[in-house]
Amino acid sequence: MTDLAREIMQTLSHNKLRTALTGIAVTWGIFMLIVLLSMARGVTNAFDYNMLSRNTAMIRIWAGKTSVPYNGNREGRYIEFDDKDLKAVPARNQKYVEAISSRVSGGGKLSTSKGEVSQSYSGVYPSESSRLNPGDLKQGRFINDRDMQEKAKVIVIPMYYAKQLFPPDGEGALGGRVNCNGLSMKVVGVYESRNRRDVYIPFTTARMLSSDQNKLDNLSIDLKNVSTEADGTAAEDGIRETLSSIHNFDSKDDNAIYVGNYFNNSLTGKAAMGILDTCVWVLGILTLLTGIVGISNIMFVTVRERTHEIGIRRAIGAKPRKILTQVIAESVSITVLFGYIGIVLGMMVTQLIAHFVDDGEMLRNPTVSLAIAFEVTLVLIVSGALAGLFPALKALKVKPVEALRDE
Amino acid sequence: MATDNIIQQDDVVIKLDDVNKTYQGAVPLHVLKGINLEIRKGELVSIMGASGSGKSTLLNILGILDNYDSGEYFLDGTLIKNLSENKAAEYRNRMIGFVFQSFNLINYKDAVENVALPLFYQGVSRKKRNRLAMEQLERMGLADRAHHLPGEMSGGQKQRVAIARAMITNPSLILADEPTGALDSKTSHDVIEIFRELNKEEGKTIVIVTHDPGVAEQTDRLIRISDGLIVPADIPADGISKPQACVMPDGEILTPPDIV
Repeated sequence: MTDLAREIMQTLSHNKLRTALTGIAVTWGIFMLIVLLSMARGVTNAFDYNMLSRNTAMIRIWAGKTSVPYNGNREGRYIEFDDKDLKAVPARNQKYVEAISSRVSGGGKLSTSKGEVSQSYSGVYPSESSRLNPGDLKQGRFINDRDMQEKAKVIVIPMYYAKQLFPPDGEGALGGRVNCNGLSMKVVGVYESRNRRDVYIPFTTARMLSSDQNKLDNLSIDLKNVSTEADGTAAEDGIRETLSSIHNFDSKDDNAIYVGNYFNNSLTGKAAMGILDTCVWVLGILTLLTGIVGISNIMFVTVRERTHEIGIRRAIGAKPRKILTQVIAESVSITVLFGYIGIVLGMMVTQLIAHFVDDGEMLRNPTVSLAIAFEVTLVLIVSGALAGLFPALKALKVKPVEALRDE
Repeated sequence: MATDNIIQQDDVVIKLDDVNKTYQGAVPLHVLKGINLEIRKGELVSIMGASGSGKSTLLNILGILDNYDSGEYFLDGTLIKNLSENKAAEYRNRMIGFVFQSFNLINYKDAVENVALPLFYQGVSRKKRNRLAMEQLERMGLADRAHHLPGEMSGGQKQRVAIARAMITNPSLILADEPTGALDSKTSHDVIEIFRELNKEEGKTIVIVTHDPGVAEQTDRLIRISDGLIVPADIPADGISKPQACVMPDGEILTPPDIV
């Protein structure tokens, strides 16, 4: 084994320039593969973070305006959800509905002795907390079940308003009191989110504040027993059917209610990420292929140049397998050596990119894992062996007597 | 191995029995037309013949570098016929030491590594084969050149390295193909002297193919080959230095001074 390594070292260093030029093609191919893979990984990570880390087995429905006449009702009628729906939807769709929640909102303003902001509130169920990203809640807690039961006068506000209501930096916001539509509310949580500035109070508390006792903003339905897109569609159809019979609209009327099927969306998203991953592998391997063809080409030249030497070796007793092994091992050595340079360079560049764009909406932690580095190594070894195989077989066809004649 | 593949005469190294070889082509070329030859252990033999006489083909067959069509070739009692590439490589490695006109050393390996190469293919450890290679080089008087590349050595030194390489596996037969062809007369004489020593002192069987009558004279026995056949030994030897005029395919007639 060390003998073989020594032989390879000797032949590779015998023609350093050629070895290096060949190697650069492989380094470039692997570099591209690593960078592409890590970029794709970054996009996938961002997607996972934005979508998958939350509860995705969920359907959310907003009320709209009918666009077709139905059952004697004219088009253009506004649909409004009310408390009946909260009971009917779970009751009639027991197979798929785990829980239902809703939210109501009311206009108004929030004020303290030190500041005042114009902002409507959202009366929500505790499950609404899943709309925030993990870690967004900086202080305190979210609305809980006990708040719901007790119709507690508690409020969760974003840091943005906390700073205005408790100037200058929101100090003392947690535990402080905020006046909301005439009710004094205790701040139990402060969160900070890039894309959200909702003010949350318990659903039941909001009901007391609301002038229209029945009207609901939307319906959030947690699903169960769903695993495929067909399940998600069946659940959606069942709920649509229920609502259309309660509110008298055509179940095929897409404008009467707007259904956000988060479950199916996430499946589509996952599939898209899978396709992206595959595309990147294909692209990367095609790039790498250029390098492999280069190596193969160079190995052919090497074998041609060394026909005479191979002839000498065979004349003094080298068995065909030895020659085959040596040519392939040389090819694998070049590929792995220069491939590793490509991996290291690629990793360095992706780390640099990660350093500058980390936690973006589109890109998150764009680096490759150890598993991928391992897979790429495997690709390197296999491709190096393939690149060497055909030149090696050509080397075997060299008859010792012909090779010796070749001067 | 089947016993009928072994002949029982211990002292016969090479035995050729009606060996024929035809090169297939547009016009098949019958190169060897039934060669019968016996070379005994410890003989120093030269083979001479004009270009196209079948001399090189015979050498290739003796060296298991080429196949023959019919007949039988026993090397050291072993039938050499229709061997697989693996077997042929193994027999070449263990039974034959080659010395070539153009030395055929590997140019990026130093003298020791070149000499040790046959042992590399026997799987001998690096340490041991380098020690054995050094011993061979010392015998050739080249100990101080052990770590020189072939490009840094003279023709005579290169040929002595090649002889050391041929000797390292302690083969039954040394086959030398025009070993002095690329050397001046003084160096040629030295190289032939080495062959004579190996033959006398160690009893090595040595076959030298040459077109130089001066070289042939220094061997114990001369085998002449002409037109694919061995010329019987009772024909006077002065035919060697006086080859006949021959007609080339394009009709040109070559007279003796033109025939090299």
